[in-house]
Amino acid sequence: MKAGKQAVTPGKKSQSLLSRRWQKFKSLKRGYYSFVILVIIYLLSFLLPVLVSNKALVVQYNGSKMFPAFADLVGLASYHGYEDFGLKSAGGEVNYRRLSQEFEKADNGNYVIMPLYPFSPQEDISVEGNEKFLPPLTPGTHTAARLLGTDDRGRDVFARMAYGLNVSLSFALLLAILEYCIGVPIGAISGYFGGKFDLILQRVVEIWFTLPVLFIIIIVVSLVSPNFFLLLGLLLLVSWISIALYIRAEFLRERTRDYVAAAVSIGVPTWKIIVRHILPNSLVPIITFFPFSIVSGITALVSLDYLGFGLPPGTPSWGEMFGLGVQYINQNKWWLVMSPMSAMFFTLSLTVFVGEAVREAFDPKTFSRLR
Amino acid sequence: MSVRMLDVRDLHVHFAMHGGVFQRKVAEVRAVDGISFGIERGETLGLVGESGCGKTTVGRALINVLTHSSPDVALSGEVNYIDKQGNETNLIHLSKHQMLKYRQHVQMIFQDPYSSLNQRMTVKQIVAEPLSIHKPEMKRAEVDDRVSWLLEKVGLQPEYSLRFPHEFSGGQRQRIGIARALATNPELIICDEPVSALDVSVQAQVINLMDDLRSEFGMSYLFIAHDLSVVYHISHRIAVMYLGNIVELGRADEVYFTPTHPYTRALISAVPEPDPAKTGRQRIVLTGDIPTPLSKPSGCGFRTRCPIARPDCATFTPQLELKKSGALAACPYVE
Repeated sequence: MKAGKQAVTPGKKSQSLLSRRWQKFKSLKRGYYSFVILVIIYLLSFLLPVLVSNKALVVQYNGSKMFPAFADLVGLASYHGYEDFGLKSAGGEVNYRRLSQEFEKADNGNYVIMPLYPFSPQEDISVEGNEKFLPPLTPGTHTAARLLGTDDRGRDVFARMAYGLNVSLSFALLLAILEYCIGVPIGAISGYFGGKFDLILQRVVEIWFTLPVLFIIIIVVSLVSPNFFLLLGLLLLVSWISIALYIRAEFLRERTRDYVAAAVSIGVPTWKIIVRHILPNSLVPIITFFPFSIVSGITALVSLDYLGFGLPPGTPSWGEMFGLGVQYINQNKWWLVMSPMSAMFFTLSLTVFVGEAVREAFDPKTFSRLR
Repeated sequence: MSVRMLDVRDLHVHFAMHGGVFQRKVAEVRAVDGISFGIERGETLGLVGESGCGKTTVGRALINVLTHSSPDVALSGEVNYIDKQGNETNLIHLSKHQMLKYRQHVQMIFQDPYSSLNQRMTVKQIVAEPLSIHKPEMKRAEVDDRVSWLLEKVGLQPEYSLRFPHEFSGGQRQRIGIARALATNPELIICDEPVSALDVSVQAQVINLMDDLRSEFGMSYLFIAHDLSVVYHISHRIAVMYLGNIVELGRADEVYFTPTHPYTRALISAVPEPDPAKTGRQRIVLTGDIPTPLSKPSGCGFRTRCPIARPDCATFTPQLELKKSGALAACPYVE
């Protein structure tokens, strides 16, 4: 009796499929470290106002302390004019780099602590003289060296690149998540109920799929000024479809499996069968697809920005920087093109490595690793 | 004994086939073509037949799990469930909501223990799910107790309850499936080839377990299988199906030892014997393949392969009638 019992010994810790796959993903070093790096970089990019900014972290002035950069980070008003620090009003906000020099000269116990990299993507450059087209690592007239030089309006390239990372990744992440929020339910319903409902829905989707998104974006953008969420919505118009098709195919296959029949025979409500039984078993294409849909989101935003149909002018974005660099490409301003390009190259490579590792971790065949 | 709990009358299950540009209905698969039988309380009814004869479809039609996977299925006839007070309910045309009440009384054990358990759920979640649907008033601790008790009943250690199905062997998985079917104290369990995916040594254990559980809890089984010796071992009565119809129905010993219908005879003669020389049984070899249920032969479905077929077999559909052995058989030309 009980011959099959040796297969399991009680007391050993049990693992769900998902946690086994997570273990395997962790064992794929290239993908795992890419994932860790990406997550750290993305989380750090939310701290950019205190890491890369022309606003001081701490200003000590006549016994009182001010924290303009932190105020910026949490979204509080951080404006201080020159007159706040007993200087002649020069109009506009105080330049903390210059303030720091003034305080040092006066040497009366006042001081300024600047962020790690004291430049912002958007700066009033009239104060320090016009520092256009500074090549990388050359110091300006009043300031420290700029890591990647400046562009045609004297804006710091490194600062723009760093802020551009946050914009690109946020855009791609949000696009991918919203894609899933629309595509998964539609695909699930279409695949589970099948029959006439599926037939009609699929024809509608096919027609919808032929929408020329690029033209729609160009037309809409020429009518109203674009912003982050308008672009997101326009790209979302058709990008959910491929997810819906994947999920539909998964559901068509899974719904004929016996565990679904078992759930039906028990009397589990339909929504619960879809959400608790079939969906967890259809997650493989969703999860493996995710990094690649982030890649496509980043590239979509970069190309729109490059063409000038993207985010509003002035927003630090890689595509816009890239377009600018191409304008000056024959004047030996190589850093203008190289900076956004390498940033994009690294981000996309890391994301693809993650995607590769995820796909491998979800591969049921144990010996199919390519190294 | 001898109190009916399920009465199936003239059950038809037809699947529509669609084709062409507009997906019109082009043909119909008559998987189950007018069968009638009854199951009594505490009884095991074996349902045998070769692959594709509609056994599984009958089982699934009884508990209405066909429509979710094939929306184009058409059911007709009566599946009358008779509760302990003697009230009859036809299950076939109940809405999903009305059906829910009866689902706890009729449960199912599936053929493939690898696909019938959701891989993403722990054993406890799987076994407790029927309880959460039908006994929502049960407290968490009560559910835990009941799951442990059920696992013990089917010969698994309760410590396994937090594991996932992929960590178990086929026989153990089938035990989990049995525990799930037992959870709501059902009156009828439909066993859809519960042992044919298992190792022969494990088959015997599972069959004995099921028989023990039946005598302990007193429920009925509809035991679907293609292995005649297994069915004979566990069943009180046996129904033999061919091409969507029941061709013979009788007590297990009647059908197994004195088969009447020519198809049953051929089927029984194909059961492997440890020592064929001793029994001296004549092997009846049928020629040809089972016809497709898409275009069934007219009259008697078996006439294309029947060794005693006559020209007029094509003209009428034979009905089940009482034969000398005591069983019912659907052939007028045998005794």
